[in-house]
Amino acid sequence: MTSTNSNSLSGRSWRSTALYAVLVLLVVFYLLPLWTGLVTSIKADVLATAPFLPPAPAGFTSVHWTRAINALTGGLVNSLILAIPATILSALLGSMAAYGLTTLNWRHQVPILMLFIAGIFIPYQAVLIPLSKFWASIVPVNDLVGYVGLAGWVGDLIGLILSHVAYGIPICTLLFRTYYKDFNEEMIEAARIDGATTHTIYRRIILPLSVPMFAVTLIYQFTQVWNDLLFALVLVGPGAGAPVTVPLSQLGASLSEVGFGIRMAGAFVAALPTIIVYVLFGDQFAEGVST
Amino acid sequence: MARLELDDITKHFDDDGETIVAVDDASIDINDGEFLVLVGPSGCGKSTTLRMIAGLETITDGELRIGGRRVNEAKPRDRDIAMVFQSYALYPHMTVRENMSFGLEESTDLSEGDITDRVESATDTMGISDLLDRKPSELSGGQQQRVALGRAIVREPEVFLMDEPLSNLDAKLRAQMRTELQRLQEDLDTTTVYVTHDQTEAMTMGDRIAILNDGILQQVATPLEAYHAPANQFVAGFIGEPSMNFFDVDLEGDSVVGDHLDYPVSDDVRTKLDTDALVLGIRPQDIELVDAVESGHDIAVTVDVVEPMGDENNVYLTFSDAPTNETFIANVDGRTLVEEGDDIVAHIPEEAVHFFDRRSGEALRNREFDGDADVDLSL
Repeated sequence: MTSTNSNSLSGRSWRSTALYAVLVLLVVFYLLPLWTGLVTSIKADVLATAPFLPPAPAGFTSVHWTRAINALTGGLVNSLILAIPATILSALLGSMAAYGLTTLNWRHQVPILMLFIAGIFIPYQAVLIPLSKFWASIVPVNDLVGYVGLAGWVGDLIGLILSHVAYGIPICTLLFRTYYKDFNEEMIEAARIDGATTHTIYRRIILPLSVPMFAVTLIYQFTQVWNDLLFALVLVGPGAGAPVTVPLSQLGASLSEVGFGIRMAGAFVAALPTIIVYVLFGDQFAEGVST
Repeated sequence: MARLELDDITKHFDDDGETIVAVDDASIDINDGEFLVLVGPSGCGKSTTLRMIAGLETITDGELRIGGRRVNEAKPRDRDIAMVFQSYALYPHMTVRENMSFGLEESTDLSEGDITDRVESATDTMGISDLLDRKPSELSGGQQQRVALGRAIVREPEVFLMDEPLSNLDAKLRAQMRTELQRLQEDLDTTTVYVTHDQTEAMTMGDRIAILNDGILQQVATPLEAYHAPANQFVAGFIGEPSMNFFDVDLEGDSVVGDHLDYPVSDDVRTKLDTDALVLGIRPQDIELVDAVESGHDIAVTVDVVEPMGDENNVYLTFSDAPTNETFIANVDGRTLVEEGDDIVAHIPEEAVHFFDRRSGEALRNREFDGDADVDLSL
């Protein structure tokens, strides 16, 4: 009896030891690039120690961070001006479209829904040229803003915002639709009998119940827009209106050397807002994903 | 409060180009303050009928009038109705108070103070005043049910529509809510249409019941009429628990003859039978168990199964000459001592026998019953 017990006990502890070992390895695996990036960004000479070791006290410098922050501040502001409205608009419009396509009943819903779904699968690369032509000649938005006394790059940024909204709506609609399909139909009918119009049902019933799904779409869409380089480069390009990904891609590039330190510092600076968004909406995100 | 009239109401659904008739030519006049129960098996069209009254389904044909006004085209909000749903359909993000004031805010111009007063008096009526600031998720099923009812009565509508509102409650609470709902409806005196598949609810709650099958209205009658004078075999079988026993019989001379049955009928009854192919119906409660065959109305039977219920027993019987085949049920006093395998005699009193046309199902002769007299049919 005793021996069996201690055997099974040691068997269990061996198994949990193995489990923890694997978990620690996974943690190391995921954290190593971040850690290496961090230590590299504070080394005066990147080759002084092995990549993953911190610098000796004498080799510590904060110059990469100061330079990265200086180089990226403008881009960060532009990215915020871009990502915040683009995210909110696509989530809101997606939610409205999903309400119209899911909760309300009318003819020809399915073909319209198919169009939305098809929109998810359009690759960005395929529309780059038509899209830039569209904003350049059909709706020359950077000329138009000139009439109200704004600089051309503001117009470019507006075009970029609208493009991201348009490309974000399909996936947002799909996410909200999945969520709304599980709503109790009788609850909507009860609201209709209670006298609510289509508009008030959305405002007073659907919208307040969508908070968890808004957290999901806001995080997802914010990350998408924030990290996008392709549209930013083609529609705005380097200059006064460039989102942070554009100057980030040029950071530390020179003919004489590869500026690993400043690149690492820059990557951290540029990623910071997305991390903040995750922290802010994390709880609702978990709730929205699990429903 | 108002009179509610269904005039040849018909509903067609379109299913891949095929037309499905959900409700066919249903006409019911529901009086002001009346409690009408729509009952029938699932898929019979009762919920569709209710949803047409509510305005949640369009009416294919016919006319619907509330208080004499045609409302076929009116939106649900313009019909002055309130509905209680099976799932309660409460707004999960709102407190009880908000749930109940929502309808008043959306459909009336009442001031905030008036709304508060109305909501509080409705919660008093429903006995849920202490729950006003709770969310639906913090309430028990019974409490949610009360909130759902309260949300309907606070509107003070012309007509209440209820779609199986008690079916999600446990048996004990359901019986309690049934009584309470009846009392409430009597106090408010609001015209009510109540949908259920449960014939007990129909019998106990309704002023009148409307029985539907396959989208066709079978009978609209008081519960006692439907029970004792069913219009056809479907109603006879649907109303009453356990169900009426049916035997296929043919009229031969002065008796009806079935596979195991040779049952003499009096001239009085025979004159009502205008066809030979018949179904004989007898309620389990009307069958008496006796010791010996004394007349043609007594049949030798064998006890198959006994279901003791305390106050009564359901005794499953087979004909002695064909022990394994057909069983039928007798419902007798719980103190009657019979056991499986006993050979006994079932007495089928002629005054309690129903006859139906086997082809059309139409009732040709119902049991002797005087709707106005005291009903003591224990015999």
